[in-house]
Amino acid sequence: MSTPFPITDSPLVCWSCHERTIGTHFCSSCGKMLQVPEKSDYFAMFEIPRKLWIEMSGLEKKFLQLSWKLHPDNFVNASPEEREISLKRSSELNDAYRTLREPVGRVEYLLAIEGARVEGKSKQQAPPELLEEVFGLNESLDELREAKASGGDLGNLKERLTAAEKNFQDKLAEVDGELQNAAKEWDAAVDASADEAKRRIVMAKLNELLNRRSYIRNLVVNVEKELL
Amino acid sequence: MAYSEKVVDHYNNPRNVGSMPKEDPNVGTGLVGAPECGDVMKLQMKINPDTKIIEEAKFKTFGCGSAIASSSLATEWVKGKTVEEALAIKNTDIVRELSLPPVKIHCSVLAEDAIKAAIGDWKKKHGIEVPAHEKSSH
Repeated sequence: MSTPFPITDSPLVCWSCHERTIGTHFCSSCGKMLQVPEKSDYFAMFEIPRKLWIEMSGLEKKFLQLSWKLHPDNFVNASPEEREISLKRSSELNDAYRTLREPVGRVEYLLAIEGARVEGKSKQQAPPELLEEVFGLNESLDELREAKASGGDLGNLKERLTAAEKNFQDKLAEVDGELQNAAKEWDAAVDASADEAKRRIVMAKLNELLNRRSYIRNLVVNVEKELL
Repeated sequence: MAYSEKVVDHYNNPRNVGSMPKEDPNVGTGLVGAPECGDVMKLQMKINPDTKIIEEAKFKTFGCGSAIASSSLATEWVKGKTVEEALAIKNTDIVRELSLPPVKIHCSVLAEDAIKAAIGDWKKKHGIEVPAHEKSSH
Protein backbone atom coordinates (compact mmCIF):
# COMPACT_ATOMS: atom_id res chain seq x y z
CA MET A 1 0.00 0.00 0.00
CA SER A 2 1.44 3.34 -0.87
CA THR A 3 0.80 6.32 1.28
CA PRO A 4 0.63 9.85 -0.04
CA PHE A 5 2.43 12.59 1.81
CA PRO A 6 1.64 13.89 4.42
CA ILE A 7 1.29 10.64 6.27
CA THR A 8 -0.50 10.39 9.54
CA ASP A 9 -0.71 6.98 11.04
CA SER A 10 -1.88 8.39 14.34
CA PRO A 11 -5.13 7.25 15.90
CA LEU A 12 -8.06 9.35 14.87
CA VAL A 13 -9.36 9.82 18.37
CA CYS A 14 -7.20 10.98 21.27
CA TRP A 15 -7.14 8.58 24.23
CA SER A 16 -7.21 11.48 26.67
CA CYS A 17 -9.62 14.14 25.41
CA HIS A 18 -11.53 11.81 23.05
CA GLU A 19 -11.40 14.44 20.34
CA ARG A 20 -10.55 13.66 16.75
CA THR A 21 -6.92 14.53 16.27
CA ILE A 22 -4.44 15.01 13.47
CA GLY A 23 -1.18 15.17 15.41
CA THR A 24 1.77 12.84 14.88
CA HIS A 25 3.08 12.57 18.43
CA PHE A 26 0.83 14.91 20.35
CA CYS A 27 -2.91 15.47 20.24
CA SER A 28 -3.85 18.49 18.19
CA SER A 29 -6.67 19.28 20.60
CA CYS A 30 -5.43 18.73 24.14
CA GLY A 31 -1.67 18.44 23.56
CA LYS A 32 -1.29 15.08 25.32
CA MET A 33 1.12 12.57 23.88
CA LEU A 34 -0.72 10.20 21.57
CA GLN A 35 -0.67 6.46 21.93
CA VAL A 36 1.85 4.61 19.77
CA PRO A 37 0.08 3.43 16.61
CA GLU A 38 -0.08 -0.34 16.24
CA LYS A 39 1.67 -0.31 12.90
CA SER A 40 4.87 1.61 13.17
CA ASP A 41 5.90 3.92 10.38
CA TYR A 42 9.33 5.44 10.90
CA PHE A 43 8.86 7.86 8.03
CA ALA A 44 5.62 9.16 9.53
CA MET A 45 7.30 9.57 12.92
CA PHE A 46 9.66 12.06 11.36
CA GLU A 47 6.86 13.51 9.22
CA ILE A 48 8.77 12.84 6.04
CA PRO A 49 7.51 11.17 2.86
CA ARG A 50 8.38 7.53 2.18
CA LYS A 51 11.34 8.44 0.05
CA LEU A 52 14.83 7.00 0.10
CA TRP A 53 16.86 10.16 -0.09
CA ILE A 54 16.84 11.71 3.34
CA GLU A 55 18.62 14.87 4.26
CA MET A 56 20.77 13.73 7.18
CA SER A 57 21.23 16.97 9.10
CA GLY A 58 17.48 17.58 8.97
CA LEU A 59 16.80 14.06 10.23
CA GLU A 60 19.25 14.46 13.06
CA LYS A 61 17.82 17.80 14.07
CA LYS A 62 14.31 16.41 14.13
CA PHE A 63 15.52 13.39 16.07
CA LEU A 64 17.09 15.54 18.76
CA GLN A 65 13.99 17.73 19.02
CA LEU A 66 11.67 14.76 19.29
CA SER A 67 13.92 12.93 21.75
CA TRP A 68 13.75 15.97 23.94
CA LYS A 69 9.97 16.32 23.70
CA LEU A 70 9.18 12.66 24.16
CA HIS A 71 11.77 11.90 26.83
CA PRO A 72 10.47 10.05 29.92
CA ASP A 73 12.15 12.63 32.16
CA ASN A 74 9.47 15.09 31.09
CA PHE A 75 6.74 12.78 32.37
CA VAL A 76 7.98 11.85 35.81
CA ASN A 77 4.92 13.37 37.41
CA ALA A 78 2.47 12.40 34.68
CA SER A 79 -0.09 9.60 34.79
CA PRO A 80 1.10 5.98 34.42
CA GLU A 81 -0.44 5.90 30.92
CA GLU A 82 1.54 8.90 29.81
CA ARG A 83 4.74 7.58 31.35
CA GLU A 84 4.31 4.35 29.45
CA ILE A 85 3.54 6.12 26.17
CA SER A 86 6.61 8.31 26.60
CA LEU A 87 8.79 5.27 27.16
CA LYS A 88 7.35 3.49 24.13
CA ARG A 89 7.57 6.50 21.88
CA SER A 90 11.14 7.23 22.93
CA SER A 91 12.32 3.73 22.27
CA GLU A 92 10.54 3.64 18.93
CA LEU A 93 12.06 6.95 17.99
CA ASN A 94 15.52 5.52 18.64
CA ASP A 95 14.77 2.49 16.45
CA ALA A 96 13.41 4.76 13.75
CA TYR A 97 16.45 7.00 13.75
CA ARG A 98 18.87 4.09 13.71
CA THR A 99 17.03 2.52 10.76
CA LEU A 100 16.52 5.60 8.63
CA ARG A 101 20.05 6.85 9.18
CA GLU A 102 21.49 3.78 7.49
CA PRO A 103 20.99 3.71 3.69
CA VAL A 104 20.60 -0.08 3.33
CA GLY A 105 18.52 -0.45 6.48
CA ARG A 106 16.27 2.30 5.16
CA VAL A 107 15.59 0.41 1.92
CA GLU A 108 14.90 -2.79 3.85
CA TYR A 109 12.49 -0.98 6.11
CA LEU A 110 10.68 0.74 3.26
CA LEU A 111 10.17 -2.57 1.46
CA ALA A 112 8.97 -4.17 4.68
CA ILE A 113 6.29 -1.55 5.38
CA GLU A 114 5.27 -1.49 1.74
CA GLY A 115 4.78 -5.25 2.01
CA ALA A 116 7.41 -6.09 -0.60
CA ARG A 117 9.82 -7.86 1.72
CA VAL A 118 8.52 -9.97 4.56
CA GLU A 119 11.51 -11.20 6.48
CA GLY A 120 11.50 -14.93 7.13
CA LYS A 121 7.94 -15.31 5.91
CA SER A 122 7.65 -15.31 2.17
CA LYS A 123 11.00 -16.59 1.05
CA GLN A 124 13.17 -14.39 -1.08
CA GLN A 125 14.11 -15.83 -4.43
CA ALA A 126 17.50 -15.38 -5.96
CA PRO A 127 17.98 -15.58 -9.73
CA PRO A 128 19.88 -18.76 -10.79
CA GLU A 129 22.73 -16.79 -12.42
CA LEU A 130 23.38 -15.01 -9.15
CA LEU A 131 23.42 -18.29 -7.25
CA GLU A 132 25.86 -19.78 -9.76
CA GLU A 133 28.11 -16.77 -9.46
CA VAL A 134 28.01 -16.66 -5.66
CA PHE A 135 28.57 -20.41 -5.44
CA GLY A 136 31.59 -20.13 -7.71
CA LEU A 137 33.03 -17.23 -5.72
CA ASN A 138 32.52 -19.16 -2.50
CA GLU A 139 34.26 -22.17 -3.99
CA SER A 140 37.30 -20.16 -4.97
CA LEU A 141 37.42 -18.69 -1.49
CA ASP A 142 37.17 -22.21 -0.12
CA GLU A 143 40.14 -23.33 -2.23
CA LEU A 144 42.20 -20.50 -0.83
CA ARG A 145 41.13 -21.45 2.67
CA GLU A 146 42.16 -25.05 2.15
CA ALA A 147 45.49 -24.05 0.69
CA LYS A 148 46.03 -21.87 3.72
CA ALA A 149 45.18 -24.71 6.08
CA SER A 150 47.53 -27.12 4.37
CA GLY A 151 50.36 -24.61 4.57
CA GLY A 152 50.66 -23.57 0.97
CA ASP A 153 52.87 -20.77 -0.26
CA LEU A 154 51.67 -18.09 2.14
CA GLY A 155 52.98 -15.08 0.24
CA ASN A 156 51.23 -16.13 -2.92
CA LEU A 157 48.09 -17.00 -1.00
CA LYS A 158 47.89 -13.66 0.68
CA GLU A 159 48.17 -12.05 -2.70
CA ARG A 160 45.29 -14.12 -4.05
CA LEU A 161 43.13 -13.46 -1.00
CA THR A 162 43.80 -9.75 -1.27
CA ALA A 163 42.87 -9.88 -4.94
CA ALA A 164 39.68 -11.76 -4.03
CA GLU A 165 38.87 -9.18 -1.39
CA LYS A 166 39.33 -6.38 -3.88
CA ASN A 167 37.10 -8.18 -6.34
CA PHE A 168 34.34 -8.61 -3.73
CA GLN A 169 34.69 -5.02 -2.54
CA ASP A 170 34.37 -3.83 -6.13
CA LYS A 171 31.23 -5.91 -6.54
CA LEU A 172 29.85 -4.48 -3.31
CA ALA A 173 30.54 -0.94 -4.49
CA GLU A 174 28.88 -1.79 -7.79
CA VAL A 175 25.73 -3.12 -6.14
CA ASP A 176 25.65 -0.13 -3.79
CA GLY A 177 25.78 2.15 -6.80
CA GLU A 178 22.92 0.27 -8.43
CA LEU A 179 21.00 0.46 -5.17
CA GLN A 180 21.45 4.22 -5.12
CA ASN A 181 20.14 4.51 -8.66
CA ALA A 182 17.13 2.36 -7.86
CA ALA A 183 16.50 4.50 -4.78
CA LYS A 184 16.41 7.57 -7.01
CA GLU A 185 13.95 5.79 -9.25
CA TRP A 186 11.76 5.12 -6.23
CA ASP A 187 11.83 8.75 -5.15
CA ALA A 188 10.95 9.85 -8.67
CA ALA A 189 8.02 7.44 -8.66
CA VAL A 190 6.80 8.87 -5.34
CA ASP A 191 7.20 12.45 -6.62
CA ALA A 192 5.27 11.61 -9.77
CA SER A 193 2.57 9.83 -7.71
CA ALA A 194 3.21 6.81 -9.89
CA ASP A 195 0.66 4.04 -9.82
CA GLU A 196 0.94 0.85 -7.82
CA ALA A 197 2.23 -1.17 -10.78
CA LYS A 198 5.15 1.18 -11.39
CA ARG A 199 6.00 1.21 -7.69
CA ARG A 200 5.95 -2.58 -7.57
CA ILE A 201 8.48 -2.72 -10.39
CA VAL A 202 10.89 -0.40 -8.60
CA MET A 203 10.40 -2.27 -5.34
CA ALA A 204 11.16 -5.57 -7.03
CA LYS A 205 14.37 -4.08 -8.33
CA LEU A 206 15.32 -2.77 -4.89
CA ASN A 207 14.55 -6.14 -3.38
CA GLU A 208 16.71 -7.99 -5.86
CA LEU A 209 19.60 -5.63 -5.24
CA LEU A 210 19.29 -6.08 -1.49
CA ASN A 211 19.46 -9.84 -1.96
CA ARG A 212 22.49 -9.57 -4.18
CA ARG A 213 24.08 -7.26 -1.68
CA SER A 214 23.64 -9.68 1.20
CA TYR A 215 25.44 -12.45 -0.72
CA ILE A 216 28.32 -10.20 -1.65
CA ARG A 217 28.48 -8.76 1.84
CA ASN A 218 28.95 -12.32 3.17
CA LEU A 219 31.77 -12.92 0.73
CA VAL A 220 33.51 -9.75 1.84
CA VAL A 221 33.17 -10.72 5.51
CA ASN A 222 34.44 -14.24 4.83
CA VAL A 223 37.46 -13.18 2.83
CA GLU A 224 38.31 -10.57 5.45
CA LYS A 225 38.26 -13.28 8.11
CA GLU A 226 40.90 -15.18 6.15
CA LEU A 227 43.08 -12.12 5.86
CA LEU A 228 43.16 -11.41 9.60
CA MET B 1 22.11 -19.64 21.30
CA ALA B 2 23.74 -23.04 21.30
CA TYR B 3 23.48 -25.54 18.49
CA SER B 4 22.02 -28.94 19.26
CA GLU B 5 24.37 -31.90 19.50
CA LYS B 6 23.12 -33.25 16.19
CA VAL B 7 23.82 -29.97 14.39
CA VAL B 8 27.34 -29.88 15.82
CA ASP B 9 27.88 -33.50 14.75
CA HIS B 10 26.79 -32.81 11.16
CA TYR B 11 28.80 -29.61 11.14
CA ASN B 12 31.99 -31.31 12.33
CA ASN B 13 31.48 -34.48 10.29
CA PRO B 14 29.37 -33.46 7.33
CA ARG B 15 28.14 -36.50 5.39
CA ASN B 16 28.41 -36.71 1.62
CA VAL B 17 30.25 -33.50 0.93
CA GLY B 18 31.29 -33.21 -2.68
CA SER B 19 29.92 -32.96 -6.15
CA MET B 20 28.99 -35.06 -9.16
CA PRO B 21 29.17 -34.17 -12.84
CA LYS B 22 26.28 -31.84 -13.58
CA GLU B 23 26.06 -33.07 -17.17
CA ASP B 24 25.42 -36.72 -16.20
CA PRO B 25 21.84 -37.42 -17.32
CA ASN B 26 21.22 -39.39 -14.13
CA VAL B 27 22.38 -36.58 -11.87
CA GLY B 28 19.94 -33.95 -10.71
CA THR B 29 21.39 -30.70 -9.34
CA GLY B 30 19.62 -28.26 -7.07
CA LEU B 31 21.24 -24.92 -6.33
CA VAL B 32 19.28 -22.79 -3.90
CA GLY B 33 19.96 -19.77 -1.77
CA ALA B 34 18.59 -17.71 1.07
CA PRO B 35 19.32 -14.10 0.22
CA GLU B 36 18.32 -12.89 3.69
CA CYS B 37 21.38 -14.54 5.19
CA GLY B 38 23.49 -15.07 2.08
CA ASP B 39 23.58 -18.87 2.30
CA VAL B 40 24.00 -20.98 -0.84
CA MET B 41 23.36 -24.71 -0.98
CA LYS B 42 24.03 -27.20 -3.76
CA LEU B 43 22.52 -30.64 -3.54
CA GLN B 44 23.02 -33.35 -6.14
CA MET B 45 21.49 -36.79 -6.51
CA LYS B 46 22.28 -39.68 -8.76
CA ILE B 47 19.01 -41.37 -9.61
CA ASN B 48 18.55 -44.76 -11.20
CA PRO B 49 16.21 -44.15 -14.17
CA ASP B 50 14.67 -47.64 -13.94
CA THR B 51 14.06 -48.02 -10.23
CA LYS B 52 13.82 -44.24 -9.52
CA ILE B 53 15.96 -44.89 -6.47
CA ILE B 54 18.41 -42.24 -5.33
CA GLU B 55 21.69 -44.08 -5.33
CA GLU B 56 24.03 -41.28 -4.42
CA ALA B 57 23.71 -37.83 -2.91
CA LYS B 58 26.26 -35.05 -2.49
CA PHE B 59 26.11 -31.53 -1.16
CA LYS B 60 28.12 -28.42 -0.73
CA THR B 61 26.82 -25.56 1.38
CA PHE B 62 28.25 -22.17 2.13
CA GLY B 63 26.42 -20.94 5.15
CA CYS B 64 25.87 -21.28 8.85
CA GLY B 65 26.08 -24.49 10.90
CA SER B 66 22.35 -25.11 10.64
CA ALA B 67 22.37 -24.81 6.85
CA ILE B 68 25.28 -27.25 6.62
CA ALA B 69 23.64 -29.68 9.05
CA SER B 70 20.28 -29.46 7.24
CA SER B 71 21.81 -30.27 3.87
CA SER B 72 24.07 -32.97 5.29
CA LEU B 73 21.05 -34.62 6.89
CA ALA B 74 19.07 -34.24 3.67
CA THR B 75 21.69 -36.21 1.71
CA GLU B 76 21.64 -38.93 4.36
CA TRP B 77 17.87 -39.16 4.24
CA VAL B 78 17.38 -39.20 0.48
CA LYS B 79 19.94 -41.94 -0.16
CA GLY B 80 18.20 -45.22 -0.90
CA LYS B 81 14.80 -43.56 -1.16
CA THR B 82 12.73 -43.37 -4.31
CA VAL B 83 12.13 -39.99 -5.90
CA GLU B 84 8.58 -39.93 -4.57
CA GLU B 85 9.69 -40.77 -1.04
CA ALA B 86 12.36 -38.08 -1.13
CA LEU B 87 9.81 -35.51 -2.25
CA ALA B 88 7.77 -36.34 0.84
CA ILE B 89 10.55 -35.06 3.14
CA LYS B 90 9.35 -31.88 4.79
CA ASN B 91 11.41 -29.14 6.30
CA THR B 92 9.58 -29.74 9.58
CA ASP B 93 11.09 -33.25 9.68
CA ILE B 94 14.53 -31.67 9.49
CA VAL B 95 13.65 -29.11 12.16
CA ARG B 96 12.55 -31.90 14.47
CA GLU B 97 15.56 -34.13 13.84
CA LEU B 98 18.08 -31.33 14.36
CA SER B 99 16.09 -29.43 17.04
CA LEU B 100 16.50 -26.22 15.09
CA PRO B 101 15.41 -23.02 16.86
CA PRO B 102 12.81 -20.78 15.15
CA VAL B 103 15.43 -18.40 13.75
CA LYS B 104 17.05 -21.29 11.89
CA ILE B 105 13.94 -22.78 10.34
CA HIS B 106 14.75 -21.14 7.01
CA CYS B 107 17.83 -23.40 6.80
CA SER B 108 15.59 -26.45 6.79
CA VAL B 109 13.34 -24.82 4.19
CA LEU B 110 16.42 -24.33 2.06
CA ALA B 111 17.27 -28.04 2.34
CA GLU B 112 13.74 -29.05 1.36
CA ASP B 113 13.92 -26.67 -1.59
CA ALA B 114 17.27 -28.13 -2.61
CA ILE B 115 15.82 -31.67 -2.65
CA LYS B 116 12.91 -30.49 -4.81
CA ALA B 117 15.19 -28.51 -7.11
CA ALA B 118 17.56 -31.46 -7.60
CA ILE B 119 14.74 -33.85 -8.39
CA GLY B 120 13.12 -31.23 -10.62
CA ASP B 121 16.37 -30.92 -12.56
CA TRP B 122 16.60 -34.69 -12.96
CA LYS B 123 12.96 -34.89 -14.07
CA LYS B 124 13.57 -32.16 -16.63
CA LYS B 125 16.49 -34.11 -18.04
CA HIS B 126 14.19 -37.09 -18.45
CA GLY B 127 11.29 -35.14 -19.90
CA ILE B 128 9.08 -35.68 -16.88
CA GLU B 129 6.78 -32.81 -16.09
CA VAL B 130 7.30 -31.17 -12.71
CA PRO B 131 4.00 -30.41 -10.96
CA ALA B 132 3.74 -26.89 -9.55
CA HIS B 133 3.66 -28.04 -5.91
CA GLU B 134 7.00 -29.78 -6.37
CA LYS B 135 8.71 -26.64 -7.57
CA SER B 136 11.22 -25.32 -5.13
CA SER B 137 9.62 -21.96 -4.51
CA HIS B 138 7.79 -21.54 -1.25
